[in-house]
Amino acid sequence: MKNKIPSLKITPETLYTSRRRFIKSALKTTAASFLLASCSPKTNHDDQVETIDSLVDDQGFPATSVEDIISYTNYYEFSTGKTQSTKLAEAFITSPWAVNVDGYVNNPRVFDIDEIKNLFEQEERIYRMRCVEAWSMVIPWVGFPLKKLLDIVEPTSDAKYVRFETLYDTEQMPGQNNPSYPWPYIEGLRMDEAMHDLTLLSTGIYGKDLTPQNGAPIRLVVPWKYGFKSIKSIVRIDLVAEMPTSLWMAVGPTEYGFYANVNPTVDHPRWSQATERRIGQSGRFNTQLFNGYGEEVAYLYEGMDLKTSF
Amino acid sequence: MKLTRIQIIVNLLSLLPAIFTGFLLIQGSLSANPIQTLTVITGRTAIYLLIFSLFCTPLNNIFKMGVFIRIRKTAGLYAFYYSLTHFLVFSVVDYELNLSWIFPELTQKPFLQIGLAALTLLLPLALSSLQIIKKLLGIWWKRIHNFVYLITALIIVHIILASKGDIIDPVILGGLFLFALLLRINPLKTLSIRNLPQWARDLNTFLIQ
Repeated sequence: MKNKIPSLKITPETLYTSRRRFIKSALKTTAASFLLASCSPKTNHDDQVETIDSLVDDQGFPATSVEDIISYTNYYEFSTGKTQSTKLAEAFITSPWAVNVDGYVNNPRVFDIDEIKNLFEQEERIYRMRCVEAWSMVIPWVGFPLKKLLDIVEPTSDAKYVRFETLYDTEQMPGQNNPSYPWPYIEGLRMDEAMHDLTLLSTGIYGKDLTPQNGAPIRLVVPWKYGFKSIKSIVRIDLVAEMPTSLWMAVGPTEYGFYANVNPTVDHPRWSQATERRIGQSGRFNTQLFNGYGEEVAYLYEGMDLKTSF
Repeated sequence: MKLTRIQIIVNLLSLLPAIFTGFLLIQGSLSANPIQTLTVITGRTAIYLLIFSLFCTPLNNIFKMGVFIRIRKTAGLYAFYYSLTHFLVFSVVDYELNLSWIFPELTQKPFLQIGLAALTLLLPLALSSLQIIKKLLGIWWKRIHNFVYLITALIIVHIILASKGDIIDPVILGGLFLFALLLRINPLKTLSIRNLPQWARDLNTFLIQ
């Protein structure tokens, strides 16, 4: 099928740097009226605005600032605090790094992270990321479709689901000592979801390698699902016959389903899924079905009751 | 009315989270999601102050230092102020007083109903701390204030329901609350130190002046 989400050439870093500088000055002028004023660049007449504005998603939403993306993360392996993981993940070792791809495949294989970066052409995709906690960002990912990797290992006809696993290392990831959660982090996709062109394995943000707190060195990105589906720091990818039980499904089966498709009409017991707050901007947005990627992905769920298969 | 030393200290300490948060807010370093951070800070401060206020009476029983009784009301009142701010951050700042957003939330989410119930129950406690109302209420003042245990329990349930599977915070808060309750029943209730050292008496006298 035709994909209208453009794959761009990776934006040169100088552009990001100028954007960073620009955002800083914009923030300074609005700092006093922080909660009331929008921090978006539209009121500023800086020369750089035009080039910066080109960094928008398919719906024209501007990319979230790199500072916000790398400073505000949900990475419970390090901390349940959203700003604490940055510091705790500082020394996280991401090289060497191996990703073991196994299960119902003809060519099981261990990929080295450098090998992955060379083997698959890295492209930039600007996606909306909607957290289940009702906040969202627009993120310029660097990565490649998961399909390309799966094509190399050749899933057999027994493979119905893909099961992903995060590194388990309590020395490096202090949050894994928290007994509230059944570590390691597990996520899963149905085969057709995994093979969809929008589904990325990401190795970078804003043209640079992923920071540890953002899931370095390699993570999943599934833009039409809540953020927790996009598992970080992947060490295993298994092709399996049964639907995997994700960490969040194990923690709260009534709250977190396997599909976890963004859906404003299916409520979470704690967070409204009808609206969301866009990080770095004021006001609330109405949340879109499938996070606005319905045209691309709705066919995957035809005939399914999205309220029961949440 | 002249403020005693301990009142000045408690007021300053209670205002500290607000001052610190305000400073970070103006500086723009209250995380990438300042509204969420504001919600958490105001809520946390409120429950910790409320639980602290529950320790004042037992501490006074044990140490016979009047200073604890004199800070109980202030701690309780600040718990109310932070709770109210917590609610205003939710309703005004986050949901922009948009009833078509707020109403479905309130009808669907038990944790919000429980939180709102706790705040509503706190209101008469806060109002009746005014001397004139306290006198009018007579014996009812104490009866009304016994609601503080129910309110604390409600807030802890509110936090459990609002947390994403994490059990550490609820365990700490629940543990502190249970401890404060244990100190109110025998044998701990009658626990007291008979011969308080002179310096402690002096400190007490110094603080309540």
